[in-house]
Amino acid sequence: MSGANSTGLKRVMTGVPGLDTILGGGFLQGGVYIIQGTPGTGKTTLGNQIAFNHAAQGGQALYTTLLAEYHARMMQHLGSMSFFDAARIPDQISYLNGFGTLKSDGYPALRDLLRREVTRHKATILILDGFATAQRKASEEQDFNEFVHELQSIAIATDCTMFLLSSAMGVKETPEYTIVDGIVELSDRLLGWSSESTLQVVKLRGTSYLRGRHAFRITDDGLVVYPRIEASLARPSRLEPDAAETVRSGVDRLDAMMGGGVPAASTTMVMGPSGVGKTTLGLQFLSQCAADEPGLFFGFYETPARLRVKVDKVCPPLGTLLDSGAVEVLWQPPTDGLLDAYGERLLENVRRRGVRRLVIDGLGAFQSAAVEPVRLNQYLTALMNELRALGATTLYTLAVPDLTGPYIREPARDLTVPSDNLILMRYVEIGARLRRMISVLKVRNSDFDPSLYEYVTTGHGLQIEGTLAGADAALSGVPRREGGTRNQEPARRGG
Amino acid sequence: MATVLVVEDEFGIAELLDAVLTEEGYQVVTAMNGRDGLDLLARERPVLVLSDYMMPVMDGASLLARIRADPALQGIPVVMMSSMPEAAVAQRCAGYTAFLRKPFKLFELLDVVGRVLGKGDGQAP
Repeated sequence: MSGANSTGLKRVMTGVPGLDTILGGGFLQGGVYIIQGTPGTGKTTLGNQIAFNHAAQGGQALYTTLLAEYHARMMQHLGSMSFFDAARIPDQISYLNGFGTLKSDGYPALRDLLRREVTRHKATILILDGFATAQRKASEEQDFNEFVHELQSIAIATDCTMFLLSSAMGVKETPEYTIVDGIVELSDRLLGWSSESTLQVVKLRGTSYLRGRHAFRITDDGLVVYPRIEASLARPSRLEPDAAETVRSGVDRLDAMMGGGVPAASTTMVMGPSGVGKTTLGLQFLSQCAADEPGLFFGFYETPARLRVKVDKVCPPLGTLLDSGAVEVLWQPPTDGLLDAYGERLLENVRRRGVRRLVIDGLGAFQSAAVEPVRLNQYLTALMNELRALGATTLYTLAVPDLTGPYIREPARDLTVPSDNLILMRYVEIGARLRRMISVLKVRNSDFDPSLYEYVTTGHGLQIEGTLAGADAALSGVPRREGGTRNQEPARRGG
Repeated sequence: MATVLVVEDEFGIAELLDAVLTEEGYQVVTAMNGRDGLDLLARERPVLVLSDYMMPVMDGASLLARIRADPALQGIPVVMMSSMPEAAVAQRCAGYTAFLRKPFKLFELLDVVGRVLGKGDGQAP
């Protein structure tokens, strides 16, 4: 329920996934906090989630409403949420209404009511839902300021942490916002046809916190907040391992091309057009996993069932590893996804299972989920740095738009994150046939073979054959025969 | 005119009960907590108490216990109202005459009132 920071102030953890990370460990015990947001943004759900989580940790919660949802209706709405536990009412969570008192007798009476009830219930947290009602009721600003100030006195005297839920979007300079110890703002904005909910800590006294907006979703488990990866992992969670060794790629010739294999705990970008074999290469990479070297396929476009068909077709050894659990598949549809939810889900699996080999199939899905494209580069940089620090050797695929042609266009500048190794896969047109070519463009701290190799896809994955000898400008996709002109003529068979 | 005491801290619900029962021919008095309810009981001598379960100052269970312990009041029927299931309420308070699970429909309210007061149609005397 609580911990302590370096100054000895105890904390009240919310138990809301992601929120305590943003708060640097939780709210400070005995503080008064405003949680504000326009109607429908999730304040009441959040308030109840905090109350029930607090009760589950042994605390006592007092939920007081002013002009807000009726308790019966609120409980109907909350009844399906996993945190809701009716057995904790009323012994650990009491629901009271203070509007009548405020309406008939004003602030002093409401203040006295709250003080008495906090004491009577030995409440360790108080939620005051409908705080905007109190703000609107204020005919004299001074009265209201005094009310908030007195609430703070009660909080300190009783060590009760108070959360004032308000639908008014306050101005930071107003006195009540100056008085309180922290402000958390929930907001919801339309983005074309979809919407995004975000949480922002506007103010928090006595502790560091993750600034800026963080996406959240309201689920059957209540609010789930996703701290921005580039904020929460501005520095990787641990030192990057000092890895000089290499790991096998799953394609022997590719290991040779890369100077002996893929550097361990590195990131490798595999670029190429759709259908060229990037996913297949990823599957072969994962086929080198073992029980003590677990792997993860983190994909967007191929469902686990479709992927399994592909595994059986082009990389059968991986099937056994999937069956044994040494390799897991995490699939998420790329529609309506949350950028930070992707990162959270990926890192959770890598940390929990100690993943050593990771394939992220379709970096473009991150771009689709990026509401603010300007974030993407920093996000991916932080994510990749963390994966290196966790010791995962990561191979990620990136689709390029052109099947063939004289130019290799970056899909988007935001996606060109610093990558340790770079592999390019392309179609080339030779003799009126599309053939496939692979080349290594970069390997971290290693010599590598920069030649262009032709490969074919077999029942055992990619099979790299010889170099594209005899063809110049193969990277253009339309090679010329050595010493000749651009090969634009169809191949002639039989003389 | 028979008097009904409504003890309810949710202002909107108290007002609604007041309006509905007044239309049904009762005189209605309201209190926002059990303690104020007890004061009104002594003065108004209602034929029925409708009490919320969770309230500030004094909750419905304490109010009920005080009513049942007072020879002058113990015969007054008490309808307990709560958004909690009756089984959970019954564990903590005994002796209520009837139970109304919130949110309830108005006909359910009138049914219970009529039944408790021995009037099938819920009409006031």
